[in-house]
Amino acid sequence: MSAPLLEIADVVTAYGKIEALRGVTLAVAQGSITCLLGPNGAGKTTLMLTTSGILRARRGSIRLAGEEIAGRAPHDIVARGMALVPENRLVFAHMSVTENLAAGAYQRRDRAGIDEDIERLYGRFPQLKARSGQQGGTLSGGEQQMLAVARALMSRPKLLLMDEPSLGLAPLIVEEIFRIIAELNRDGTTIFLVEQNAHMALKVAHHFYLIEQGRVTFSGSPGALAEDEVIRRAYLGSTKH
Amino acid sequence: MVVDLAQNTLDGLMLGSAYALLALGFTLIFGVLRRANLSYGPAIMLGAYAATWVNLQFHSGALVLALVTIAGATLAGAYVERLCFAPHGRRSRSGEAAAVASMVGSFALWMQLEELATLWLPKHLYGFPPLYDGPPLALGPLTLRVEYLAMLACAVAVCFGLHRLLNRTRFGLAVRAVVDQADAARLAGINVPRVFMLVFALASALGGLAGYLIVAAHEQVTPMLGMWSTLKGMIAMMLGGLGSLPGAVVGGLALGLIEAHSQWLFGPQYRDLIAFLILFALLAVRPSGLWAMLRRSPAPAP
Repeated sequence: MSAPLLEIADVVTAYGKIEALRGVTLAVAQGSITCLLGPNGAGKTTLMLTTSGILRARRGSIRLAGEEIAGRAPHDIVARGMALVPENRLVFAHMSVTENLAAGAYQRRDRAGIDEDIERLYGRFPQLKARSGQQGGTLSGGEQQMLAVARALMSRPKLLLMDEPSLGLAPLIVEEIFRIIAELNRDGTTIFLVEQNAHMALKVAHHFYLIEQGRVTFSGSPGALAEDEVIRRAYLGSTKH
Repeated sequence: MVVDLAQNTLDGLMLGSAYALLALGFTLIFGVLRRANLSYGPAIMLGAYAATWVNLQFHSGALVLALVTIAGATLAGAYVERLCFAPHGRRSRSGEAAAVASMVGSFALWMQLEELATLWLPKHLYGFPPLYDGPPLALGPLTLRVEYLAMLACAVAVCFGLHRLLNRTRFGLAVRAVVDQADAARLAGINVPRVFMLVFALASALGGLAGYLIVAAHEQVTPMLGMWSTLKGMIAMMLGGLGSLPGAVVGGLALGLIEAHSQWLFGPQYRDLIAFLILFALLAVRPSGLWAMLRRSPAPAP
């Protein structure tokens, strides 16, 4: 663990008059898997969308590798080395799997490197290779999640943000997604993960934050005494999985 | 009688080629931005007036006049985009209110551009040099104007060109990604406002091309060209199917055929009335338009 790759300080994001984030401060260490836990409506997705530039922070600072990115356009943030795998995946339903991947590399100009990366990712996700010519919308939920991850990786991010990658997936697929997350991290990608499934998330995370009602209320490392309390407060029911 | 019918069908198809060209630009904007640009025609009118001015000053050739019309329409289109569409494009979450705001804005600019044209120009009606000076082609007993043949060729070429652009280029990939999932496109690193601007400029340029061919066939320009272009482009788009490029061509040709035949059967005063009647009837039965019907036809009827 070294200097933080992502530093979020006192970020406020509001929808009209309602503040969804009420001064969030946290850091994601270089090389780590950091997890953000919390109940529905706590502001997890809002934080992901604000960090990636889709939503504009009303106040506060967001730094990627020391560089201020708050207020920058999403495409600019992607070019600086951060990609988000959005909630509900949002694959391009009417574009082929290969085109989905090509779109993920839109900020890059190295044609040869892009083709190489597509092949490399097809090696990592053989299910996607088998469906390379199929439209994104025809894939199963698990395949779409893998496609969304692969698409985000096409921009060669230093930091990968993932919003609820296990949402709506069967337990076996969830296991596979988390195996992939651990692998990506081992290969050098820093990961900032939002999860409802705290049970799974705490298995892979190095560090976690608990967010409640738009504020970070707890942070720590998995295995510490407070873990059960955190899981309870994140309203998980993860033991049911 | 048979000759009349054939000649009318031919005239309709040729008139429809002009509508198809207009509808392609209109459809491109609607298909990508999901916004109706009512200032589409007035921007074309400004391009046509710019070319008229160049013609009066320099007596330029057809190619220069075509380029001036296209450039004028593109510039006017960019002005409309900056004022009416760019401010309402970014918040993808407030879709409906933004769509109404930009449509009303483009209506206001339509009025503005038309007023400016009537205020600034000493005459309303200006002559325009024809694309081709010779006699019409004779096909046995039928006649065919070369200008309309050029329109049909351009409409088909533009349709294929756009198809290639959308499916074979990096820019096309970005456009399709934006149409498919705008937020995901932004997260993939695509500069969505820029894609919108370029699509708008491209559509306006296509409108300019259509405008040049039309005024060169009519050999005159009036301020009515603005309203006429918006209406014909929009009706042809709706007949063919909202947002489908081949649908725009089919819709344009269909509108031309409907107009030519109803004019022949019932007289010119009923032409537009019947065209609108058929549009209403079609939208009531098949809101997705003619192209969707044609594509569905090989399958057994539901």
